[in-house]
Amino acid sequence: MTPGQILLFVVALVAFGLALRRGVPTAQRALRDTGQTIGRVLPLLLVALPMAAFLAELIPPDAAAGWLGPESGLPGIIVASFAGGFIPGGPFVSFPLVLTFIKAGAGGPQMVALITGWAILGFHRVIAWEWPVLGGRFVAIRLAASFALPVLAGVLAQWLLPWFPHALIRP
Amino acid sequence: MPGFLRRHSNLLIIGGIGLVAGAAVYRLHGPAGIGRAMETAAGVFLGVLPAMLAGLLLAGSLKQLIPAGALAKWMGAESGWRGLGVATLAGMAMPGGPMAAFPLVLVLAQAGADRGALIAFIVAWALNGFQRVLVWEVPLLGADFAILRFLCGLPLGFIAGALARRLPIDWVPPGSQAGGQRP
Repeated sequence: MTPGQILLFVVALVAFGLALRRGVPTAQRALRDTGQTIGRVLPLLLVALPMAAFLAELIPPDAAAGWLGPESGLPGIIVASFAGGFIPGGPFVSFPLVLTFIKAGAGGPQMVALITGWAILGFHRVIAWEWPVLGGRFVAIRLAASFALPVLAGVLAQWLLPWFPHALIRP
Repeated sequence: MPGFLRRHSNLLIIGGIGLVAGAAVYRLHGPAGIGRAMETAAGVFLGVLPAMLAGLLLAGSLKQLIPAGALAKWMGAESGWRGLGVATLAGMAMPGGPMAAFPLVLVLAQAGADRGALIAFIVAWALNGFQRVLVWEVPLLGADFAILRFLCGLPLGFIAGALARRLPIDWVPPGSQAGGQRP
């Protein structure tokens, strides 16, 4: 287990302990609620994880950095925004990938858009977590409200880049 | 049985996409590709299961400890930009992966946070979570790039939250009784 997971366990047990101090019925309600959520989420997870893994198999690991070069401008930012949404996995996948792209010559604003797209759109995470826990309607609202934001972040980065001359370390 | 279909629509949609993607993997990579993918999926499942149980137990306990509607004043539909700001700060401070964050969103919803605040929270957590920026982004991509990226992400939670409040799609938090408060 990672330190983060251990911390989560400790916090969860403390919260449950506090519920127990309120009385056994409160703790029972907490357990019943937890069980109900698990019953709802677990089947979805069992279907969603193979699905996400299949999608990951289909994505080429080294998508062309040329598409995302500094001269690619707004089209590059748009491509990067939505490509970011398809990067599977957690930060241990995305940030090393961005580092390889930067070393291969990708542009700064495009990489800002890519990371933002991965974080906000991350279809992998939407399918494995957000949809099972919060439901399809919530996902629809959230994606409708945020699908254009990675592009906005890339455009902002283009404006701000002159103030950050050291933003792109090249080997 | 339309009722059955509606109740399990999420499962059916995800399962459908999975079957299509699995068929594509089989055509491209054969049984070895399927085996690799299932191995990945099983590894992720075993990896996240304990954290998920902890996250859901935390959410279940907090739901009992935080009275319903307690956060309505801070993050409710009437909370305006300040509510989105509170949600953004909470999202950035929220440590941990999706197994903790998404169950917590349910707790916030039950405590009276509206959809705008919930979405500002999710966007801020996913994009600018302090823990991830410090643990992953700064070491791997450098402080200058990380600061530039962080600044560009800062307004996005507000924008997403404000947009979400105006979208004409009905939504009730799952698990809440029918007739709960709506925006």
